[in-house]
Amino acid sequence: MDIISVKNLVKKFEDVTAVDNISFTVKKGEIFAFLGPNGAGKTTTIHILTTLLKPTEGTAIVAGHDVREDSAEIRKRIGIVFQDSSLDRELTAYENMYIHGKIYNVDGRDLRKRIEDLLKFVELGKFKNKVVKNFSGGMIRRLEIARALLHRPEILFLDEPTLGLDPQTRAHIWEYIKNMKEEHEMTIFLTTHYMDEAEQLAERIGIIDHGKIIAEGSPEELKKRIGKDVIYLRFSDKTENCMETELVKNCKILPDGRMELGVENAAEALPRIFEAAMKKGQKIMEVSYHSPTLNDVFLYLTGRAIREERGNKLDVMKNRRKRWGR
Amino acid sequence: MKAFITLLYRQIKRFMRAKSRVIGAFVNPLLWLVFFGLGWSKVFNFPMAKQIFGGSDYLSFLAPGIVSMAIFSSSFISGISVLWDKEFGFLKEILVAPCSRKEAIMGRIVGDSLTSVLQGAIILLMTFTIAHSLKISGIPYVILLGFILAGSFVSVGVILALKMTSMEGFQMIMSFLMLPLLFLSGAFYPIDTMPAWMQALSRINPLTYAVDGSRYFLLGTSKFAITTDIGILLLLTFLFAGVAVYMFERTTID
Repeated sequence: MDIISVKNLVKKFEDVTAVDNISFTVKKGEIFAFLGPNGAGKTTTIHILTTLLKPTEGTAIVAGHDVREDSAEIRKRIGIVFQDSSLDRELTAYENMYIHGKIYNVDGRDLRKRIEDLLKFVELGKFKNKVVKNFSGGMIRRLEIARALLHRPEILFLDEPTLGLDPQTRAHIWEYIKNMKEEHEMTIFLTTHYMDEAEQLAERIGIIDHGKIIAEGSPEELKKRIGKDVIYLRFSDKTENCMETELVKNCKILPDGRMELGVENAAEALPRIFEAAMKKGQKIMEVSYHSPTLNDVFLYLTGRAIREERGNKLDVMKNRRKRWGR
Repeated sequence: MKAFITLLYRQIKRFMRAKSRVIGAFVNPLLWLVFFGLGWSKVFNFPMAKQIFGGSDYLSFLAPGIVSMAIFSSSFISGISVLWDKEFGFLKEILVAPCSRKEAIMGRIVGDSLTSVLQGAIILLMTFTIAHSLKISGIPYVILLGFILAGSFVSVGVILALKMTSMEGFQMIMSFLMLPLLFLSGAFYPIDTMPAWMQALSRINPLTYAVDGSRYFLLGTSKFAITTDIGILLLLTFLFAGVAVYMFERTTID
């Protein structure tokens, strides 16, 4: 059953098209990740799905309700952890949870028990009466996750859940997310620009770039697109033409001049490739190969690595986040 | 009612935790009353002076103005602090919640009004030690009037904060709006002795009616009829609160 179903969704801000005609579905109970560089349209999509922004065109059905019509119904059924904290920094962990419970209609003893349990779940039990402004980045994120779970949402949205956290804390948060899914059978929609995060957590990934979904599938399916192994070659002379040898599943010239080859088995394919190069009189300067990562998939699809942040677009998005309208 | 009560609870919790803000709220009006008030009271110590100030000594004339000023500034600032909620993200928590936004923002407005009036009430009690011709019987009425005043300026603050796109505008509003409103309110000197154009401006200043009404209850004299003071303040409070609710219901992030 599809718990999120998006069709031809478009969101324009004045001059920029942040989300450009995307369609995808998320099945009930799965972890779905939007993977893409900063400014790709991930946060805008989350804001539309969580009814904070109206779409320019297209439809989005979340938990059985249309984002344009039934925002109130959707809001009851979802939990969100925003990219930037949305806690009240002047209040304690407990008070933040308590206020959330009250405005989401959880009451009395039930509310108190849930707060205690969830704070224990994210290991903040000892800090429940401490004011949030003294918390570390990791503690804030954990508290946000606990708060988002308080009203037992059907879908949990996580926008860059480990952005800016140290490696240990990130691994910790991943544990919570996995446990959450298992314990509560929740659907989780997350966005990230970290390959490892998508690979660790997601059952299905949508790769998004410039507001468009350029590939979709499980991490394995996506990686299979390039082959089981990826070989990189650098020739003494710049080549324009790809190598067409048997065993090579696909081949591409990268912007930095290297040739990228997808093969079933690099150990078997390399001698054939050397042979073919010799025949053509090409001199190989550099060889490397490894099993493909999601980064290779992104590189293959877009011609650049996901970490290359393009200044302009990023700035546009940052400014947009700072700019608030009525 | 849940969102209303929850946000009211939040504003009061926040107020009680912000110790420096609480202390600042008391110190500022007291500095005015003591240094400004005591200083000028000696200047206005000649026989004709009482006539200028509607029959009372300068300190007693100033005291109701200081109480209104205390309520005005603290309510205005707490309304504008919606801007901080935008900046630190808590506003998003409310915007995405399945609760009534009308209730949420009203809870906030009433909560902030209560804390502002509480500060005003304490200042009011303190003025009795220094200004001697104030009527004790006026206290509850001044507090009620102060609540209406607070409601209107918390709402104005909320409206401005929702309109503002950055923190930079904050300082500008403080100097271009708050000080003129204070000087044009008749808190420090009578409206009747102002130049005509200033008088005209002070008539469209909501704070004028709060100061005048407080004088009525504490001194027994006022420029306008007390029904005018209360009527205008009530009208403005409903108007501003209405606009604040209307705008908050339509707030989105973009």
